[in-house]
Amino acid sequence: MLKFLKQVTDYTKEAVQAARFIGQGLSVTFDHMQRRPITVQYPYEKLIPSERFRGRIHFEFDKCISCEVCVRVCPINLPVVDWEFNKETKKKKLNHYSIDFGVCIFCGNCVEYCPTNCLSMTEEYDLSTYDRHELNFDNVALGRLPYKVTEDPMVQPLRELAYLPKGVLDPHGLPPGSRRAGKLPEEILEEAEGNGAK
Amino acid sequence: MNSGIDLQGSFIQLLVDLGLSAEAARVVWLPLPMLLVLVGATLGVLVTTWLERKISAAAQQRIGPEFAGPLGMLIPIADGLKLLVKEDIIPAKADSLLFTLGPAIVVIPVFLSFLIVPFGQNLLITDLGIGIFLWISLSSIAPIGLLMAGYASNNKYSLLGGLRAAAQSISYEIPLALSVVAIAMMSNSLSTVDIVQQQSGYGILGWNVWRQPIGFLIFWIAALAECERLPFDLPEAEEELVAGYQTEYAGIKFGLFYLGSYVNLVLSSLFVSVLYLGGWNFIIPIEVLADWLGVSESTPWLQVITGSLGIIMTLLKAYLLVFLAILLRWTLPRVRIDQLLDLGWKFLLPVSLVNLLLTAALKLAFPFAFGG
Repeated sequence: MLKFLKQVTDYTKEAVQAARFIGQGLSVTFDHMQRRPITVQYPYEKLIPSERFRGRIHFEFDKCISCEVCVRVCPINLPVVDWEFNKETKKKKLNHYSIDFGVCIFCGNCVEYCPTNCLSMTEEYDLSTYDRHELNFDNVALGRLPYKVTEDPMVQPLRELAYLPKGVLDPHGLPPGSRRAGKLPEEILEEAEGNGAK
Repeated sequence: MNSGIDLQGSFIQLLVDLGLSAEAARVVWLPLPMLLVLVGATLGVLVTTWLERKISAAAQQRIGPEFAGPLGMLIPIADGLKLLVKEDIIPAKADSLLFTLGPAIVVIPVFLSFLIVPFGQNLLITDLGIGIFLWISLSSIAPIGLLMAGYASNNKYSLLGGLRAAAQSISYEIPLALSVVAIAMMSNSLSTVDIVQQQSGYGILGWNVWRQPIGFLIFWIAALAECERLPFDLPEAEEELVAGYQTEYAGIKFGLFYLGSYVNLVLSSLFVSVLYLGGWNFIIPIEVLADWLGVSESTPWLQVITGSLGIIMTLLKAYLLVFLAILLRWTLPRVRIDQLLDLGWKFLLPVSLVNLLLTAALKLAFPFAFGG
């Protein structure tokens, strides 16, 4: 009899505990309801990509020496370098250069290894098209610079989390002059140089 | 007791005065409540789907629908129109008769149950003697439709979903009915109007929640399970069964299932508010308020205010419960099928039986408080 009563009390305790946990969970979800949405409403609002963002690759035709280093360091040998040897000047002459961004993994190896810095990363990331072949950029398309998010009058630029002041989690309605947490790279450099001079 | 506004009586009286016979006037009256139920239930569902999207978004720190109308309020209409104009596909190897019949059998009983939802003394379609038991018996028709849909789809996920739906509905029907029996015992009647009547008089203190707290919880849990709402949405468990018995459905038939589940949610919330939260009663009894203000109870404008306040209170209570159901959806993880059946048979059933016994004992011991 006592054992049965103990079972009943244990069972009741468990049930009450379960109910308390459910209440706890409900209070968490209820608390979330009064928080501000963190949605970035994409075509109208865009996050500002960071300085080291690896977006669509930019190519400067005139700087290229057709060395094909970019092809060699590419994991899938993606860049197509079409050149011919000019016998008179004894130099390679670049005819066409193209990268297919439908295949590119944006690893940035080509940019890293390019001896003449004719390749660089842009902050363009919205590369959607109706036909995948349109993603195969030739040297003209590669030479175009993307519209900067901060200068586009159609777009409300929003800062990324790392660029917000300390303790702020929401990029909406930030006062104009607010600084990000920590020192800026330039300031760190300046300080280091100042110390070196001493 | 004052009967308040009698729409049917005055409508028929009006037509008779215009020169129609009493029978003809009745026939003219008949389709009006039916239309009202259909339109009212559908409107309730539209509001509920919008609320579901908005509240879900808020609980997840999103915005939710925003561009379709002010605050995205046209989203449910867009949803409905989309489902209406989509192609109606019947899979090649499916049993087309049962496949078509399934959604209808699921939806019709749910709409029929609106017959006995009271919004005021005379603001209901029919005050049946069996009242609340009509709903309980009608709600056990739905699993047949679900099983039919699952079986006719000729798809293993659909069949599993249909079987789960049937098992779940049948196991949770019993605690649901038992907690309703406890209420009926206290009110000495099955009629929904009598049940609300019995709770009125003391304002918020007279509501059945205080006398039936266990019954209230059991009813709410069982009602969520009956509606296949999230902690108990096993029949549709996306991760396991694609969409359960709805997998093969498209277009308006899928829309009917969708409509049916939301109407069921609204209906269950309405019944919780009728059975446990005092139905159309205000927090303070209207009669007391009228006494304070020195207004006679039979004043026409007071009756109009009482009537509209009754509708508002019923809907407010029901939608508070809908809100709770949506919040629960984002709080609780889905239970496994064995946990679901354990909860139903090993916890809710004995507890609801104890609750019934307790109610009977209390009714004998304190007849004044428990409706002797």
